[in-house]
Order: sequence, then structure tokens, then C-alpha cells
Amino acid sequence: MLERFLNKESQRKRALAKTGPGVMRDFLSAPHVEKNTRCSEAEIVSLDLETTGLDPAKHSILSYGLVQIDNMTIRLDSTRHEVISVVENIPEASAVIHQITDDRSAAGSPLEEVLPDLLRMLAGKVMLVHYASIEQNFIDAACRRLYGAPFVIPTIDTLILAQRRFERRNHTIQIGDLRLFNLRPRYNLPMYKAHNALSDAVATAELFLAMAAETAPRPENCTIGQFLWH
Amino acid sequence: MEIELVEIRDFLAQRPPFDALPEEALNQLPKTLDIRYLRRESAFPPADTDDSFIYLVRSGAIELRGKNGKLIEKLGEGDIYPVPCQLVDLEQGHNGTAVEDTLLYLLPCNKLGELRKTSATFDQHFSESMRERLKRAVGGTRATSSNNAAHMSVEVHELLKKPAVFINVNCSIQQAAQRMTENNVSSVMIRDGDKLAGIITDRDLRKRCIAEGLSSDQPARLIMSTSLESIPHNALMIHALLLMTRLHVHHLPVLKDGKIFGMLTASDLARQQNTNSAFIATDIRKSNTIEDLARACKRLPDLQLHLSNASASALHIGESVSCITDSVTRRLIEMAEVKLGAPPVPYVWVAGGSQARREQTSHSDQDNALIISNKLKPEHDTYFAALANFVTDGLNACGYVYCPGKAMASNPKWRQPLRVWCEYFNGWIDKPDPMALMLSSIFFDLGPVYGDDNLFEALQGSILAKTKNNGIFIAYMASNALQHRPPLGFFRTFVLIHDGKHDDTFDIKHRGIVPITDIARVLALAEGLPATNTTDRLRAAMQTPSLSEEMGENLEDALEFIAILRMNHQAEQIRNGVPPDNYLPPNSLSELERTHLKDAFKVIQSMQETLESRYQLGRFG
Repeated sequence: MLERFLNKESQRKRALAKTGPGVMRDFLSAPHVEKNTRCSEAEIVSLDLETTGLDPAKHSILSYGLVQIDNMTIRLDSTRHEVISVVENIPEASAVIHQITDDRSAAGSPLEEVLPDLLRMLAGKVMLVHYASIEQNFIDAACRRLYGAPFVIPTIDTLILAQRRFERRNHTIQIGDLRLFNLRPRYNLPMYKAHNALSDAVATAELFLAMAAETAPRPENCTIGQFLWH
Repeated sequence: MEIELVEIRDFLAQRPPFDALPEEALNQLPKTLDIRYLRRESAFPPADTDDSFIYLVRSGAIELRGKNGKLIEKLGEGDIYPVPCQLVDLEQGHNGTAVEDTLLYLLPCNKLGELRKTSATFDQHFSESMRERLKRAVGGTRATSSNNAAHMSVEVHELLKKPAVFINVNCSIQQAAQRMTENNVSSVMIRDGDKLAGIITDRDLRKRCIAEGLSSDQPARLIMSTSLESIPHNALMIHALLLMTRLHVHHLPVLKDGKIFGMLTASDLARQQNTNSAFIATDIRKSNTIEDLARACKRLPDLQLHLSNASASALHIGESVSCITDSVTRRLIEMAEVKLGAPPVPYVWVAGGSQARREQTSHSDQDNALIISNKLKPEHDTYFAALANFVTDGLNACGYVYCPGKAMASNPKWRQPLRVWCEYFNGWIDKPDPMALMLSSIFFDLGPVYGDDNLFEALQGSILAKTKNNGIFIAYMASNALQHRPPLGFFRTFVLIHDGKHDDTFDIKHRGIVPITDIARVLALAEGLPATNTTDRLRAAMQTPSLSEEMGENLEDALEFIAILRMNHQAEQIRNGVPPDNYLPPNSLSELERTHLKDAFKVIQSMQETLESRYQLGRFG
């Protein structure tokens, strides 16, 4: 519980001290980005998970998609999209959205095979997510279960950024206003029909570029600290 | 295997040139892109990237301005900015700005290079010069709209049912008649060595031999027609049809390498022709009343539609429709002469504007005038007024509505002896006033339709002698020619106008065709060229210092492409029973047509700029 009051870097060091050699130790060894790092120099990974539900204790990760942002440019050659095999049945309600059926899931790899790769790609980077608590909590739960250590990473949450923007302008927030696909048109971003972890990760990355450009006329000169979620 | 980034792939798959890529290359393409976002008012291309990408606008808008701040182009969703990767057509001095929040896809030049190897069409888009693109566009428009082009592209020799029937030049009239009877033909060619000396038809036997009481022992050459038009054996059928309609002949000698090859007859054409274009011509000849003529003319839109379906070039469609108008006019004049008697002095009926330029479409107004012999006496005007009224009323009844500016022979001002016409033109040329400039598109494009061609030629000779190298007059004409500017291009569903304003519809006549017609007229007058057809004028001007060969060809292709689009638009309206017009909604144009139109606009702009600096038109503001 105390961890909540420590900053991310202290959390990382604390966790590192308790973690033995392996994937998790490698991940936690990478120092976090300095808050005054210029955006153009920060390595950002936009990530999205599809899950079978909202509770990490009961539900599983179905897939992840990610894309890297370097120099405030989305690099589509860095995209990754993995489907994860789960034992439980996939609820129809969620399958309708992410299009991952039991069969497709069964063709994927188990989480313990996929997670090390994901952690390697995130190590030392900033994680960019829309509504970060899902990704944070699910990966954290997986890390604790598989490696007995917490998932600590500096995070930018575009939902939080949007919320701050609304509050700064004294706008009342309506239900749905903060959803990714309702925020995008405000920045003249195109409509996407497909919903999978990868297209949502790209959609989030685009939204972040737009928000950063709104904050600083030359977004490459802003600092990453302006956007981090503490 | 599922395609990653399917949204991006689908976006690319809809637009040229990416739509030309093979499936596999298209599926891999999104992975090679970078994405950037420009807040509105940011510089474009982004300052911190090296110049090694082409940019594709995914959403938002970019304005490109020249060094002088003039808007050059506006890019919207789906538009490409290829300059950083392009070696040809490099346009220097762009200042770009995002005028809306803009999402950009960046494709590295080296990846572009790899893609160009996967598709010839894709490659051409980036490698071709504007000139080559336009040339291909003209070819493509014709190829893609060819439904039943086959019979129009039949060559003349394929139509000939019988071998050539001929006699030697010193045979008798009787031998000619015998040869015709043996072969069951209505005409015979007269051969002098290898060369064609003349032809004799049934009609010649009747009119020039029997009616005249000439002995059939006399040499056949006495009754043959010698002023002969002929057609090469490999000419297209449509050319033959047009030529025969224009000349009012039913027989046309066919030559191969200058030697007699055969005789094309109207029935050869009729057999091949499953539609009405030949019949319209025949019906017009046979009409004895204005009602008959008006009925025949009702089929004119069908003729245009048919020719358009048959993928005739815009040049040929314009020529055929103008031909028909000539025939209608001639028939009306013949009727008038029957009614009023022979003219007291010689005259020539001349057409102006699009009819003279051979560029009519089926819904043109009438523009005409009478040039009368200088022997005209005041009391003769009753005759010519009656003739002019009969013909202009007749034309109106046939669908060629009265000229709103009253540029018609029925207007006494435009029914004058040659001497007065020369004075008119001298006045317009010496003191170009707004009235003269307004009339220029009608009276500086004149063609004889009926009567004494010498009168027309005398006037034309006098006009061209005065305009040639007449700097001040040509400068006025050039300045007038620049009144109609092509748009810059298209932006979303709008036409983008010079000052950055938008139009909802594209007036293809005034913003596409008229600018080129005006340029060609200026060149023809400046060089003293007698041609009136715009393409002919351009071709003739290319032989002079006024027009480079490259610019001439570009303008010719631009005109053909624009004119074909206009024909297709009107054909669609005729098919739907809507009166044809010149207004194209921009969203009815395909991405490819927009691209080609943009090229065509650039050609026109560039020639207009040339005229502007050649005649230092700043002064005429």
C-alpha cells in the first residue's frame, strides 16, 4: 500500500532489490526516463490489451498490440500484435468487440511465452495507454503471478490527459466523452472501424501526438514529464 | 493470415496510385509507414524530418504556396505530396502549412523505390512527366469508355465489298457505262497510269451526258468529276462517314499509297452503321420543310451519345456535330433560295464560334453572319434580310437557339458587304474595345458554310494580314484570353479557385475548354494562321516560334482529356434524359480523373503565364 505514495522510480528500485535474476529483473533494471527528457528523445510504446473482462483476478489477457513512437513519429514498422491462448471461454459480449473467438485464442501462445517479449519491449520505455489502469493492473497481476514482482513503468494515459483538458476548460464531462473514439474527432483524427489491440494502440498513439501538439506548438520540444501519469 | 493495420491498408487500397499495387505489396505497405500529426498552422513538411519521404494526407488539410505567397495547391484527405522523392517535375519554392489539424502518412523514398518495381502503373505515376501522364490519360479515357467501339474503329478497306472498278482515261462514255453495268456498280474510277484522274457516277451519266445530249462516243473524261477528295485505305470508318457527310457525296475513292484501291459508297457505310448518324445526314438532305429538319435534329443528342459510346475522340465528336449543323444550315439556305429565288449578288453564309471551330456539342447556340459581295445595293437587303431570317428562325426551330448576343445574320449589323466587314475588323484590331473583345470568340473564329468561299477567304486574308505581328492587338487579345482561368485543382468535394476560394461545381467549359480555345486563338492571330479548330491551331502554331512543340502537345492532350470528360458527362445526362450542361460535380470525378485534370490545369496555367510575360500583361491589369 505504501507503494502508491512512492514515485515510479523509487518503486522500481525497491522492486528490483527484491527480484532475482530473470525476465523481471531485466525489466526492472532499466532506469526510467527522466521527467525533463524532451518528448522528441523519449521512447514511447503505445499499448493496448484485449481482455475477457475487467477484473485481473478473474479475467485474462486475450491479446496485446503495440507500436513505438520515436521523435514524435509513429513507427508502423515496430508494430506487434499477439493473440494469447486462454483456458476460459471467451464471453460473447467481448468477442463481438475484439473479434477474438475461442478458436483464434486457442491458436495463440500462452501468456507465459508472450509476456517476456512484451516486457523486453517495454523495458526503459514510457508506456502509453488509453485508460491505463486496465493494462497496468492486468500486466501487474500477470507479473506478480508468474514472477512474483510488480510491473512498474512510467505511463502516459491519454484518458487522464483528456480529463485534465476538460477540467482546465471547465467543461462538464459527459458519459462517453473520454472514450478513445469520441476523443479522436476533436483532433480531426479519422474514424477507425476495426477494433483490435493493434489498431487501438495506433489510435491511441495518434491521439497522443495530437494532444502533445496541442500542448506545445513544437511538440518535440516538450518534456515527457508534462504528460506522465503519477 | 490476418492483415495487420487493415484500416490503413483499406485507405490506401482506394486511392491511385496505391490501388495499382499487387495485393501482397499493398498488405505489407502499412508496416512501412510512419505517422505524424501536425497541429494547424504548423509548417509542412515538418522541419525536423529529412527530405526522404512522400507524404500522404490521412486527414486534415495542407496549403502549398509559392515564394510570392500565391496559393499553388491545397492537399486534402488522400492527396499525395511526392516532391521530396521526385526527380522530375520538381517544383521549387513551396511553403507548406497545415491549415487544419492534419494526420500524415510518411513513406520513405527507398520503400517507394521498391514498390515501383512491383507495379508498372504505380511506377508510371511517379516516373512519368506531366506530359506522359496526360498522354496516357487521353488514351485511357478512350480505352475505358469503349463499349461498342469496334465498328467505329473499322478501317475503310474492311468495308469495301467489291474490288475497284476502273477504266482508262481515254475510254469512251459508253465503255464507262458498260463497265458499270457489268460490275453492277453506280460509279467507276478513271485511271491515268496509276493515278486517279476522276470518277463518273450514274448521276454524271444522266446530268452531264444524256441531259446535255453528249454523244456516248465522247471520251469519258469529259463528264468525270475531277476535284476529288479521297481517303486512305487505312483511315477509320468514322473519318469516311464524316468526310462523305461533309462533302455530300455517296462515293469516295479509296487510295493505298496514292494508288487506286477501291470505292467506298454510302451503302458500304450504311451496312456497317447500325445507328443513326448516317441517317441523320441523309434525313437532313431529304428534308423539304423546317418541320422535317427539326425532326431530324431531334436525333442529334443521340448522335453525340452514340459517338461518345463508340469512344470517338472529342475532336471527332465536335467535328461530326458541327458537320450536321453545317448540313442543316445549308439545307435551310437551299430552301430559302427556292422560296426567294437566286441571290441578287454573291454572298457567303459564315458560322462563328464553336461551329466554325468544329467543336460543337448537340446543344449549342447559333452564331452566324452574312458576308455579301461589295456589289450589294441597298435595295438588295430585303432579299438578304428575308434569307437570314428564314435560316436563323429555322435553326432556332431545329434546336440551335438564337444567339443571346444577337450575333446572327438576321441582325443587320452582321449582314454586310465584304468592305464593311473589313472595316469592322480593322476597327476592332486597331482599337480593341471591350465590345470587340466580347465578340472575339465568335467573329475571330469564322468558317464558310454556304455560298461564295472567295468572299470568306478575302476577309480572312485581310484579318490575318492585320493581326499577324500586331503586338498591341495581340496583347489585348491575350489579356482577354486570361479572363478564364483554370482552377488550381480539387479539394475534397470542391473546386479550388486561384485565390483559395471554393466552387461547388466545376464549370468544365469556362474553366477547362475556353481557356485553351482562347490561347489557341491568340496564337493563330499572332502568327496569321488560317486554322479555326483549336487542335489545328495548336498544331499549326507549333510550327512557329509562338508555341513550343512540348507545350503544344501538352495543350492538345489537356484539351482532349477535358473535352472527353465533358462529352462523357453530357452523354450521361442524355442517357438520363436530362438536358446536357457543362457543370460537373467534383465528387463525380474519380481520384484518377482529378489527378489528370490537375495536370491539365497546370499545362493551361503555365501557357497562360507564358502569354502573360510575353505580352507583359501586368500593364493591362
